[in-house]
Amino acid sequence: MLGQMAASAIRTTRLTKDYGLGRGLFDLDLQVSAQEVFGFLGPNGSGKTTTIRLLMGMIRPTSGSAYVLGLDAMRESAEVKRKVGYLPGDVPQFGSLRGSEIVAYLGGMRGGVDHARVRELCDRFDLDLGRRFREYSSGNKQKLAIVVAFMHNPDLLILDEPTSSLDPLNQQEFYRLLREARDGGATVFLSSHVLSEVERVCDRVGIVRDGRLVRVAHLDELRHLRVHGVEIEFAHESDVPKAELGEAEGVEDVIVTGTRVTARVRGSFEGLLNAIAGSRVVDFVSSEPSLEEIFLSYFTPGKPKALTP
Amino acid sequence: MTSVALALRLGRWGIVGFGLAALFATSVNTFAFYAVAGSTPQERITFGNSMLALSSQLVAILPPPIRPDTVAGYVEFRGFHSLAILFAVWAMTSATGFARGDEERGIVEALLATGTDRVALVVSRLGAFVIALSAASAAAAAGFVTGVASHRESIHVPGLVEECAILVALALACYAIALLVAEVAPARAATAAAGTVLVGLYLLNSMSRVFDSLSTWRWLSPFRYYDLSQPLTPGGPFDVRGFFVLVGIAIFAGAVAALAFEVRDLGSGLVAFRSRPGLAAHDVPREARWRYPVLRDLYRERLGILGWTAGLAVLAFVCAALTKTVVQVLLSIPTLAPYLSALVRSQIYPGVLGFTWLNLAQLLFAALAIAQVARWAAEDVDGRLEITLSQPVSRAAIVVERMAVLAVAALVIAAVSGLTLFYASHAQGIDLDPGRLVAASLMLVPFALVFAGAGALLAAWNPRAAVGLLGAFAFASYLDTELGAIYRLPLWLQDLSAFKLFGTPLVTGVDWRNVTLMLALAVAGTATSILLMQRRDVGA
Repeated sequence: MLGQMAASAIRTTRLTKDYGLGRGLFDLDLQVSAQEVFGFLGPNGSGKTTTIRLLMGMIRPTSGSAYVLGLDAMRESAEVKRKVGYLPGDVPQFGSLRGSEIVAYLGGMRGGVDHARVRELCDRFDLDLGRRFREYSSGNKQKLAIVVAFMHNPDLLILDEPTSSLDPLNQQEFYRLLREARDGGATVFLSSHVLSEVERVCDRVGIVRDGRLVRVAHLDELRHLRVHGVEIEFAHESDVPKAELGEAEGVEDVIVTGTRVTARVRGSFEGLLNAIAGSRVVDFVSSEPSLEEIFLSYFTPGKPKALTP
Repeated sequence: MTSVALALRLGRWGIVGFGLAALFATSVNTFAFYAVAGSTPQERITFGNSMLALSSQLVAILPPPIRPDTVAGYVEFRGFHSLAILFAVWAMTSATGFARGDEERGIVEALLATGTDRVALVVSRLGAFVIALSAASAAAAAGFVTGVASHRESIHVPGLVEECAILVALALACYAIALLVAEVAPARAATAAAGTVLVGLYLLNSMSRVFDSLSTWRWLSPFRYYDLSQPLTPGGPFDVRGFFVLVGIAIFAGAVAALAFEVRDLGSGLVAFRSRPGLAAHDVPREARWRYPVLRDLYRERLGILGWTAGLAVLAFVCAALTKTVVQVLLSIPTLAPYLSALVRSQIYPGVLGFTWLNLAQLLFAALAIAQVARWAAEDVDGRLEITLSQPVSRAAIVVERMAVLAVAALVIAAVSGLTLFYASHAQGIDLDPGRLVAASLMLVPFALVFAGAGALLAAWNPRAAVGLLGAFAFASYLDTELGAIYRLPLWLQDLSAFKLFGTPLVTGVDWRNVTLMLALAVAGTATSILLMQRRDVGA
């Protein structure tokens, strides 16, 4: 148990925050290993920010426990934060303070600022610390929050939708920064609903829906979940087995256009192959699912909540 | 209509808070009148004379009453005139909250994106504030009616309606003026500029009651037109022209504010500071002050502290300069001679100075604490507390640091204003006991800490309601000291009021029991707020 905790940067056991009326986070069992980049995926209101605030000790759990870098997230909150860089979902309003004063103020709470590191981060993101916060664009506010989160080279980065408001160039720079942090030994826990971002930087992904973790998987595993898009070209319109395709097990979203049929196959191909067995097929294309499709298969209303691997 | 409803929804706490304050102010004063003024005509005349004496000392703050021997005259003086100041503060905070606060939070941008016209938005806010003011004024009227009806006296209904109307007109004019200033001034100076203008207009009128030279200019102040009416008092005037002048000021200032809003960019004032030219800065200040708790917050709040220090020093100077004039005015009133003879024999100038300055200072130090609590609440709501707590500091440390910052700021302000009072009074030939002045000035620190402790507790419990509730607490504390003895409230209850505990240190010296009690209240408030902060969710 102790060994497990030491190896885990984040470990939660039945972590629950119940806001009532079914809102909140329920029974979260999660383990994030050291030097891992873990993506926490979910639609708005699914419980991502609640999880992050519980890990940061901002809110108290209704039940369960959370350990961050081996420390109790609530009881040893101050010690946890010494080792953590945090980027909140909403950048707070600092009014007329200058960017440099905000960094100095928050850095002062950590005992001082690594000036070289701050300068390097500002250079990379082209952030002018001489301007007042009120004058910053939303992108610059986000850059400032990134500087504050990364400026002390933390062991663990907890980032709530970190690239929101960043333009594509700065997003690329942020991904590079994230990879460098990981290579330097840091662990990253980031929430997002931007799939390309998760696909690009994460080692593992947890998917949360309605306050419950529905799946944790490596990216490769997710990509190889058996949801496939198929395109079938039949020899003649008379060969298209519409009725059989409509009834075939695991075959969804069937669209027939002349001799051409597109569909999604969930799970085994057996049902599809049986349905077309008596027809002449001239072309058959099966494509791997994109993360987008996997995501939609979890969150589109009416679809199953969990996939069968 | 939707914009009006939204404005009322956004300002609901203000409406509830100021409505309750209005109800409380008039009902308590009405009941107090019946409790202390006696029931025979002779008793009431005697009471009225004592009120005239009091009003003469407050002439630089409130307009003098006409018939304080009647319930309507007394409540108009103690209740409605105080509400005029309170509603002006409400108008200022609401107007700047719309022009700057809502804009900074993106509410204005979202509303304009729906196709709402800028002028229509200003009109809707003015309309919503009229509704809010009408509700609060109705609450004030209800408080008066309840008190009077319980003693089976008749009410002059038209006078009451006129009193509420002139109150609404004054506050609306203040709202429009504050809005105009906030629209024109640079964004980060808007609130300070609006507050300065309204305080200036208030002082222009109130000081003109003392300095004749100012009476030439008082027509500029909306408070002047409020002063012209005292319709609640039997036989009191209702200046129709003054009422329409106030409405005219509101319409004119509102129209110019709408025009300014129409032509300015969102996020900046009509007058804007130019951005600093030059290369981008990537360096962080290296000064040691950022590393030390308390010091970094004092530095961050330096301009505010400087403003408070300068403002109170000026007021201390004005109080010292006015003392002899006020006392001479008092002595020239034959009916007041019996009341002042005792003072004349002893220390009349220190006595009057102690009364005016320390009463004013107490109110302002309570306001300082409320302003600081408003900042704490805003830090919580805006997410700054969350980012602060993401640094390696405990919640208890944050509460203690906040209290320490207020204590140091209060100490600086008290020291500078005390020194100013000492030298200004000395220049006027009024010799204050230096030891007592130091003690009285220092006592303002635990006094402010009592309110800060209560405010810290409220901010930890419910930051959105903290300022309103603390304002109500301060108001109740003030009434407690005024009315506690009259209503024979238990001593422990009276001792919860910092105003009562402050006493009269400039005349009678320091009561160490009271100082200890003030410190105990501040510590209790701080300790409870630490416990609440430890248990509450932040950012949720």
